Amino acid sequence: MKKIIVACGSGVATSQTVASKVNRLLKENKVDAQVEAVDLKSVDRYMDSSVAYIAITKIDKEYPIPVINGIAFLTGVGQDAELKKLIEACK
Amino acid sequence: MQVLSSVVNYLLSLGAAIFVPIIIIIAGLIVRMKVKDAVSAGITLGVAFTGMTMLISFMTDTISPAAQAMLKSTGISLPIVDGGWTTMSTISWSWPYAFLMFPLLIIINVIMLVINKTNTFNADLWNVWGKIFTAVAVVAITKPHFGGAGSIACAFVVAAIQIIFELKAADMHQHRIEKLSGIPGVTCTHKMTFLAAVMYPIDCILKKVPALNKQFDAAALKDKVGIFAENHILGFILGIIFGVLARYSVADTLTLAIKAATALTLFPVITKYFMQALAPISEAVSDFMNKKFSGRTLVVGLDWPFLGGSNEIWLAVIYSVPITLLFSMFLPGNEILPFAGIINLALAVPAFLVTGGNLIRMIILCTVFAPVFLWVGTAFAPFMTDLARTTGAVSLKAGEMISNSSIDGPIQTYAFSHVFKVLDGNFIPLAILIVWVICFVLYYRSLSKEAQQETNN
Repeated sequence: MKKIIVACGSGVATSQTVASKVNRLLKENKVDAQVEAVDLKSVDRYMDSSVAYIAITKIDKEYPIPVINGIAFLTGVGQDAELKKLIEACK
Repeated sequence: MQVLSSVVNYLLSLGAAIFVPIIIIIAGLIVRMKVKDAVSAGITLGVAFTGMTMLISFMTDTISPAAQAMLKSTGISLPIVDGGWTTMSTISWSWPYAFLMFPLLIIINVIMLVINKTNTFNADLWNVWGKIFTAVAVVAITKPHFGGAGSIACAFVVAAIQIIFELKAADMHQHRIEKLSGIPGVTCTHKMTFLAAVMYPIDCILKKVPALNKQFDAAALKDKVGIFAENHILGFILGIIFGVLARYSVADTLTLAIKAATALTLFPVITKYFMQALAPISEAVSDFMNKKFSGRTLVVGLDWPFLGGSNEIWLAVIYSVPITLLFSMFLPGNEILPFAGIINLALAVPAFLVTGGNLIRMIILCTVFAPVFLWVGTAFAPFMTDLARTTGAVSLKAGEMISNSSIDGPIQTYAFSHVFKVLDGNFIPLAILIVWVICFVLYYRSLSKEAQQETNN
């Protein structure tokens, strides 16, 4: 199973909301991947083990894995496009 | 009616870990969740409650003896254990009327949108607990005067006013948040932004000093010190400090440090289960609202973390840790020992918004307002301890008290709940309330003007 991470300030509230939603969407699309909510301060530690990073903050840094816009999952705007990108990254 | 009320009373007597899951299963079925998903969410919530109870006992058993030993060795008495926001949200959700806050929030938001008094749709249903928190304090203060039903009515009125202010604060911050975060179409509905209103007049004065308007390379600095804000590291350091102040032996200090690190590391882990259980309900509400207002472009109100990409916030948070510890020991009237609430975003985020990300002014504002959090944390300890005891959300030994050293929007939360102290002849909270509202109005006007200028240019 592939791992995807989503991060917020405490790794609890916002990130878990996104994780629950994306997990449901992936299941509906029959993608074998698990989204895990992590603490923003420890994101770098998960880079090797994950296939994509769902960010809910502005990203200035380069990451070795695809970065997905997490705000889309919170607002619903542009959600389908981001989900497509995410499913692509899981292949 | 008699039967119904005795059934309800029986369920309540079983404690929060039983009755709150029952409520969420019912709520889940109302928003048309599948039975198996609703039951799963309910049991997850029961697990979250029981897990938190375990962890909070572990924390108080670790911190309380150290606080007592510190009292003996240094003479500093800080008997209130700081459980942070995770503990406060657990206790808040255990209030029997907590779930009624969901419909209240939605109804007020819909009305405000329909009459064009706001452009914000508050999608941050997790922080419903922030309204419950204020409501709980209102009930505790007004119950002796208005009785059970009267105090609950009062609590919901105050919560309703808070919901309106949250929408207004979200409206006024939107353009500035878009500029700072680079994310369009969203704003922050979290009540932690309320503190910015009182920071505003002070920031106006600070802005006049040219030396304070310098910009910093916050990114480079954050990479160096950022590790201290990670829960396990911070918990360990706090444990060492407490152990040294308590004059523990080396072995005991190290044990205390590891236990403190354990508590801080596990709090978010358990709190995640709360989120998991509540997520389907908040999703259903979001979908409902999106459908209802599909023709209109709304700004979506979110919790603060989408601002967390700003290094200034983290630097201000890390700076506030030692400042808060120092204040806690010497500030008259403080009785809380900062621990789980010491990562104080409720201090750093409003400072970030009001200064527009100027680190020097943020740090000055954080220093000025750090004591407020300790005083308000102390003031809320009796209510939260009481509610925790009656609902069994947290098991505390006799004489143990629990609170939070980083209550969001402390001045507003204190003023809106304690204003009822006028009934006892105490007019200070009322005066604070008036000052806060005046500051809010001034800040609102200044931000509206700024937004207008930006659209004109």
